[in-house]
Amino acid sequence: MKDFELKLPDTLAAAVGELPAAYSRDGAQVLAGGQDIVTVMKDDIEQPAALVSLQRLGLDGMKWDERGGLTIGATVTIQTLAEDARVEQVLPALREAARSVGSPQIRSQGTVGGNLNQRPRCPYYRHPSVSCFKKGGSVCLAEFGFNKYAAIFGGGPSYYSHPSDLATALVMLGATASITGPDGERQVPLTELYVLPEETLDTETVLRPDEILTSVSIPAPAADARASYLKYKERASYDFALAAVAVSVSRGDDGVVTDARVVLGGVAPKPWEVPAAARALVGKRMEPEAWTAAGEAAVADADPLEHNGYKVHLVKGLLFRALEALV
Amino acid sequence: MSRSNHRPESSEPSWGKRSDLDVLNRDIPRVDGPVKATGQAVYTHDVRLPNMLWARLLIHPVPRAEIESIGLEAASEMPGVVHIEALKEPGDAVRYMGDDAVLAVVAAETPDQAADALRAIEVKAKRLAPVVTPEQALEEGAPVVSRRRNADSNVGRANERGDEALADAALAGAVAVVERSFEIPVQHHVCLETHGHVIQPAPDDEPVTVYASTQSVGGTPRGLARTLGRDASRIRVLTPHMGGGFGSKFGPGLEGALAARIANATGRPVHLMLTRSDEFAIAGNRSGSRQTLKVGAGSDGRLVGLKLQADKLGGVSGGSLPGPPYIYTVEDEAAVSSKIRSVHTATDGSRAMRAPGHPQASFAMEAAMDELAYLLGMDLVEMRIRNLESEVHHRQLRRVAEEIGWGEHPHRDRPGSAENGRAVGIGFGVSVWGPGGRSSRCDVTVRPDGSVVSATATQDLGTGARTYVAAIVAEELGLTVGMVEARIGDSDLPPSVTSGGSVTTGSSAPAIKDAAHKARESLEVLLEDVLEAPVGSYVWKDGQVSVRGDASRSLPWIAVCALLREPLVAQGEFREFLHEGRIHGAQAAKVEVDTLTGRVKVLKMVTCQDQGLPLNRLALRSQINGGMIQALSYGLLEQRVFDEQDGFLLSDNLDLYKIAGAQEIPEMVALIDDEDERPSVCGMAEAPVIPGHSAIAGAIHNACGARLTRMPFTADNVLETLYGKI
Repeated sequence: MKDFELKLPDTLAAAVGELPAAYSRDGAQVLAGGQDIVTVMKDDIEQPAALVSLQRLGLDGMKWDERGGLTIGATVTIQTLAEDARVEQVLPALREAARSVGSPQIRSQGTVGGNLNQRPRCPYYRHPSVSCFKKGGSVCLAEFGFNKYAAIFGGGPSYYSHPSDLATALVMLGATASITGPDGERQVPLTELYVLPEETLDTETVLRPDEILTSVSIPAPAADARASYLKYKERASYDFALAAVAVSVSRGDDGVVTDARVVLGGVAPKPWEVPAAARALVGKRMEPEAWTAAGEAAVADADPLEHNGYKVHLVKGLLFRALEALV
Repeated sequence: MSRSNHRPESSEPSWGKRSDLDVLNRDIPRVDGPVKATGQAVYTHDVRLPNMLWARLLIHPVPRAEIESIGLEAASEMPGVVHIEALKEPGDAVRYMGDDAVLAVVAAETPDQAADALRAIEVKAKRLAPVVTPEQALEEGAPVVSRRRNADSNVGRANERGDEALADAALAGAVAVVERSFEIPVQHHVCLETHGHVIQPAPDDEPVTVYASTQSVGGTPRGLARTLGRDASRIRVLTPHMGGGFGSKFGPGLEGALAARIANATGRPVHLMLTRSDEFAIAGNRSGSRQTLKVGAGSDGRLVGLKLQADKLGGVSGGSLPGPPYIYTVEDEAAVSSKIRSVHTATDGSRAMRAPGHPQASFAMEAAMDELAYLLGMDLVEMRIRNLESEVHHRQLRRVAEEIGWGEHPHRDRPGSAENGRAVGIGFGVSVWGPGGRSSRCDVTVRPDGSVVSATATQDLGTGARTYVAAIVAEELGLTVGMVEARIGDSDLPPSVTSGGSVTTGSSAPAIKDAAHKARESLEVLLEDVLEAPVGSYVWKDGQVSVRGDASRSLPWIAVCALLREPLVAQGEFREFLHEGRIHGAQAAKVEVDTLTGRVKVLKMVTCQDQGLPLNRLALRSQINGGMIQALSYGLLEQRVFDEQDGFLLSDNLDLYKIAGAQEIPEMVALIDDEDERPSVCGMAEAPVIPGHSAIAGAIHNACGARLTRMPFTADNVLETLYGKI
């Protein structure tokens, strides 16, 4: 890891001022909990000359509005989210997503903003000696190589799967990110925060290099909605998702599903919403037949590579289990 | 000091009746537990010497290449760089990922400076076809990566045993026949402490001190003598604490030789420990294998014929796999044939690893036992008992079956099926080992102030060896463990064995016992004048010595020692009759399989294991648990991953090379087989790692009918076995 300068600005404007307008491998980057950026630096993927800490910006608060919506500051730790009693009660899917992240140590140091902005886990991307599209190269070795963990949706020319658990849950919850740059603040729905590799390869989000994600806001969930997040970790003790599902279902008094939302994690370069799966549930009772149909709909457009076809089975199974748990 | 030359005529040392033991055969907390748990224990990694250099290796990222140039100039001018050398010259080949891929070594004032300098080395190399899979190695016209002299292919000479025609004929007459092909991946040792040394050079008239993470404190001086340019007797090796070896740390290795070279060249202490990624690239592994096994049984369940074809995948080394039938017996030995060969790839050579070859053999053989039982409609335990010669295995299998709830299990002679996608199953496996015992020495010193030292040049790999070095002496002299200081991990101490093949206990414990017994008898000689009873008629218990049958004639320990005019040193040696190395084990595993997601959750594992007298029941159970965990991790998660296109080792980290963590660990029951009443001791480390993954695979099969023929049992494997590959 190369030496870098640690900047500790006291204001958001000063922090933004430290960041470069254009992307470069050695340009200054944001430091929140450091659980990802430091590994990116250690693996020699990027070598920022400076890290701009958010530590002194007071972005570590959580605020509920009167209707039950929640705004979470970028530097709130994942462990804080996982332990919050009201989050558990009102936003169980978010809590489950937070609990599923890494290890206790990582959760205690890692932040919400950092989790949403973490870089891919593709072993080729992380290997210091491998060149790939994501590192300015001209190939994706995962396409025809070791692609067990790669995307089955939305891949090409790069095939990484997005590692964030919180992103999957927050997309399902209809969250919006607040982003501050040199021109002020803008609001970006999480559904629009992430971009596919076919659009850009240097980054995974619409954040510009001189912008900082300062918070995410989650609207109050519908009173009749029940939601969950279910993640499959190959190594149960700590791991990224082989696949994950965030799902929300509302039912009428007659038990028939009136509204549903299904978002998949770990299977695409961004959280992957599958409206067809939600449609397969609406108008049905919460029964195995409907869950199976939703699973089939969820994977209908999957386009697996050589070694990740199992994710098709896995997504169906996980969605079944997540829906079963909501009954 | 007086060397005791008293030769006891009255008695030979003995482990004694189990009912008489006060220290041994009980739970003894490790004597080094507190310093380890509080971080005070100094491992080789932790050694810091004044003026010490930090060395790092540059390893080529792919297994095969032709070196065009290695530019050291920029790196040599980096801050803090003291020593830099290239190990390859232009035109040299990198022939495999392993020692041969080490291109350069740097030593600098700080570890970061060394790492920065490594990155500044400019390597130009032409990358060659990787040859990392057996398919690539066996391709027509594949580059020859085998290191065998005059090799013209990557296939070693087959070891053929038995007559295939006789095996075929026997199999043709069998009532039930199963034939399967198995794929077993390479496993890494993943020692918590990576390989390496800290070497402190010295003037010619003083010893060089080497701190080594080694399984052979006694052998390491010889291993470094040539590189250090001095006689082994003038090299002192210290291993006060060690973070695991599992068979991968028998010699100084390339990393030790380089550390010695830099220490010689610079005259400064050198710290060269492999990084975790180095460790995965060059520190050895358990060989993989591919096996096609065909086994037949008669209607009574007895095995009647067996045929095995196997490739050992040991990289540039041979790999290991014992011949069939593994542990089980075939009625007519002539009906067994096997053809085992090595297929070489350009990858790091396999080394010994906890029961080399055995877990691989177990995986195929236990699968065959399960499948034949199901074909015959026979109980899995009964099937095994009918094909195991040893009564010890029979009782151990029954014991683990009882402990895991086999009697109440609903499907014992056929696989079950999933209900709402969930299925529970139980599987079994057995193990054997022959833990040796050989020449080893120990000095027990008793000082007039009552202090006692037990000293032998063994090493504690994390097994608990240090604790019995004290406990055996405490038992013999009627003391508590805390009253005896154990000194180990120092090549200047009386020599003991290299810790491999589970020989440590079997070799060192008899020598410690012998020394303690001699010390006791020497003290009894002194007591003859004081308590007026002959040697051999004293009871040493609870810090007192008394005349057997007359408790009124007694002395406290401290008063006994006060009779000494100078320290008493008793020298013990290995006594064959105190050791017996023939051990058995049985394991059972219970799993839940989610057939919708492919999740295998191990619910419970049970082991029953014999070993003669248990010196320390707590350490024994810990080591049995460790064996189960290592086997579980092997079965559920571990897989080395090479990119097959260019040859990058992708799993050179603990993110992708996954090992079991707390969440994977099931309820574990380690049963010590107390029906084994042999008055002998031996090591036990290897046996409990042999059958765990096999039992888990059997449990998966028993749960839902899916026979996993490759490892690990990850979701992709389970789902593809159940539903086919997409």
